[in-house]
Amino acid sequence: MEIDLSPEDFEFRQEVRDFLKENTAKPGADYSQWRLDYFKKAAAKGGWDVPKWPVEFGGPGWSPTQHYIWEQETVTASLPWDMPFGIGMLAPILMNYGSKEQIDRFLPDIRERNVNWCQGYSEPGAGSDLASLKTKAVLSDDGTHYTVTGTKVWTTMAHMADWMFCLTRTDDTGIKQEGITFLLIPMKQDGIEVTPIITLGGAHSVNMVHITEVKVPVENRIGEEGKGWTYAKGLLQHERTGLAGISRSIVALENLKRQAQSVPRGNRTLMDDPAFKSKVAELEIDLLAVEFTELRSLAAAASGDDPGPESSILKLKGTEIQQRIQKLTVEAGGIYSAAWGVPVGHKFARSGMQGYLGGRANTIYGGASEVQKDVIAKNVLGLKRS
Amino acid sequence: MNFDISEEQQLLQQSVERFVNENYDLATRRKLVDSPQGYSDDNWSQMAELGWLALPFDESDGGFGGNQIDTMLVMEQFGRGLVVEPYFANIVLGGGILKQSSNLELKTSLLPGIITGDVRLTLAHAEEQSRFDLDDVVTTAREDGDHYVLNGKKSMVPNAATATHVIVSARTGGGQRDKDGIVLLLIDSGDLDGNHFPTVDGGRASELSLDNVRVPAERIIGDFNLLAKAAQDAVLALSAEALGCMEVLYKSTVEYTQEREQFDHPLSDFQVVQHRMVDMFVEYEQCKSLLYRATLEAVQDAPTAARTSHALKHLIGKSAGFIGENAVQLHGGMGMTEELAIGHYFKRLLVIESQFGNTDYHLTQFAD
Ligand SMILES: Cc1cc2nc3c(=O)[nH]c(=O)nc-3n(C[C@H](O)[C@H](O)[C@H](O)COP(=O)(O)OP(=O)(O)OC[C@H]3O[C@@H](n4cnc5c(N)ncnc54)[C@H](O)[C@@H]3O)c2cc1C
Repeated sequence: MEIDLSPEDFEFRQEVRDFLKENTAKPGADYSQWRLDYFKKAAAKGGWDVPKWPVEFGGPGWSPTQHYIWEQETVTASLPWDMPFGIGMLAPILMNYGSKEQIDRFLPDIRERNVNWCQGYSEPGAGSDLASLKTKAVLSDDGTHYTVTGTKVWTTMAHMADWMFCLTRTDDTGIKQEGITFLLIPMKQDGIEVTPIITLGGAHSVNMVHITEVKVPVENRIGEEGKGWTYAKGLLQHERTGLAGISRSIVALENLKRQAQSVPRGNRTLMDDPAFKSKVAELEIDLLAVEFTELRSLAAAASGDDPGPESSILKLKGTEIQQRIQKLTVEAGGIYSAAWGVPVGHKFARSGMQGYLGGRANTIYGGASEVQKDVIAKNVLGLKRS
Repeated sequence: MNFDISEEQQLLQQSVERFVNENYDLATRRKLVDSPQGYSDDNWSQMAELGWLALPFDESDGGFGGNQIDTMLVMEQFGRGLVVEPYFANIVLGGGILKQSSNLELKTSLLPGIITGDVRLTLAHAEEQSRFDLDDVVTTAREDGDHYVLNGKKSMVPNAATATHVIVSARTGGGQRDKDGIVLLLIDSGDLDGNHFPTVDGGRASELSLDNVRVPAERIIGDFNLLAKAAQDAVLALSAEALGCMEVLYKSTVEYTQEREQFDHPLSDFQVVQHRMVDMFVEYEQCKSLLYRATLEAVQDAPTAARTSHALKHLIGKSAGFIGENAVQLHGGMGMTEELAIGHYFKRLLVIESQFGNTDYHLTQFAD
């Protein structure tokens, strides 16, 4: 066991810092151009645009320590906007289960961020119990295409997506985990209707997607028909690991401390208030631990193991910590946290409330916390339920 | 021992309940919230006609002679319906202060208008540095002959845009956190510069600037003690409202989890869900008990009344957080939507947490 950085690690960290410094957006620069340029430059460094991808697909092959350094350094840098759906969720599925043709067709665009993906899993009747999904895909008699009809819901960024990776039902005769088929569907076509859903923070990021008799060529099926559940399950673990956001929480907690220092409380500041201070300290302690839980899981992944059920611990704890930070931010905002959409009083109060409300979803999506606990009970503790 | 309310109070409760049931479905409320004013003049007139605006005032002043129990009954129903009319700002805060003022002239000139709904008051006590401390006041009131000249800024003033008058706390002397030297003055809204905006629960609030505002000395309503007393009644009223919100939240969650099926079972079949909802229910009942206790102590003017009101707002804050967050959680994605009512109750509870001292503030006050 060793936690000190080696001289090589220090060198790597410097290299990361230099890279990030050179590639921050110049004031006035065109954002989307800069974004694409950034990923090109990162690619030229040898896979820095896809840090988590395996070497054979162009990833950098970093050690766990290097991943950790990258996380730490990038979380405070203003990197271009990036969605996890293509890079973090679909790509690993393609690499593991896609055909050579599919990999060649889809991976480059995902990597270059030319194409936006959305995740079409949940349905009105299939949330926590995802396997009960009903969106129907019927194979044509000549075996060339599926006709897909159904409704997906909570689809993040569907309104900006070019493609959806979608779980469909091709067979409803057996147990429900069987008969699920993984299809890739273009979004910009007749038969796809995207309706916004406004969430508590007032934001539009999720949607309802109605799919009506959309024809999907069999070339867009990942792996075998009826095996989609197996493919998706592995991917859910990837999603969950990504959702813990530990480094982001570390930064958020530091911000919170600064914010609380700007709030007067009697002669001093809110950060001197014993009750507030101990809540911040409790968070810090949890973060010290969970940061190492993440490192342990990174190390396991580096030794070639899939992120296993341990990733549920990270999701569970990580999202709980996010929510506690968000709640304390609202608390720090005091009376001003009640103001909506206007900057009054403490500067951070406005986004504080938005963050708190939006953040309530963190323990719901990617597997609700209660369901994560079921996974741990069953897969880690080996418990059965009647 | 008797926790029954009087027949009169029952009638009051039923009439507010009926009003809420008839006027406050979510779609109608949404329209009110989205309107420029943020509430309905018709509803306000109806409240006047039903005598609710006269509720706390003495019968000799043309009022209904109600006490904190009556206000509790009204506010609890308002919580159940998420009522947006400015009853709290106007009747509980403004009316509450005026009712106890020794400035009889001011009282007699204003009360009739309050009771008809034409005079609308609010209270401006908070300032940027004050957080929840009522005695932390830097707004100044400088004596100038038979006038006071006011300078300063007031924050998060509820419903100021529709108020005809604002009661402002200001300092005639003493240090920033001295209770002595604080006065309450009645100011015409027209004399104030306001930045008006919505609150996260669909209500309205304002930042107000006082820039050399001249107020005649006979507009002094009272001192710090009156403000503190009003704040204590405000805590009772807001807690009653919060209780109404919590009731809806826990009950809709119990209902929803019985209807929503996942894994071939209603969600309510899962033991962890059952226990969570039992916890929500227990918290709600505990809040109700403490609300009754604090309200009765206030009515009796018990020496412990102030301390119990701190206990109440603390418990309400803690439980509201727990119940609100878990109502959203157990509704899953649906709980996150603007479309469902529960998010709106949750947001109202969050605003109540920010009004007249949050959970931590009242714990400290209670412990000190
Ligand atoms: C902001 C947001 C973004 C999302 N983005 C996407 C997306 O891009 N693509 C996509 O496919 N989906 C997305 N989702 C959907 C998300 O995955 C589901 O909301 C989640 O799986 C829960 O399903 P549900 O909402 O139907 O809740 P339900 O399954 O109805 O569950 C409701 C609640 O019941 C409890 N519960 C459920 N099952 C159990 C159990 N077995 N034991 C105990 N308690 C239980 C939990 O508290 C849960 O929160 C998103 C959701 C949100 C809120």
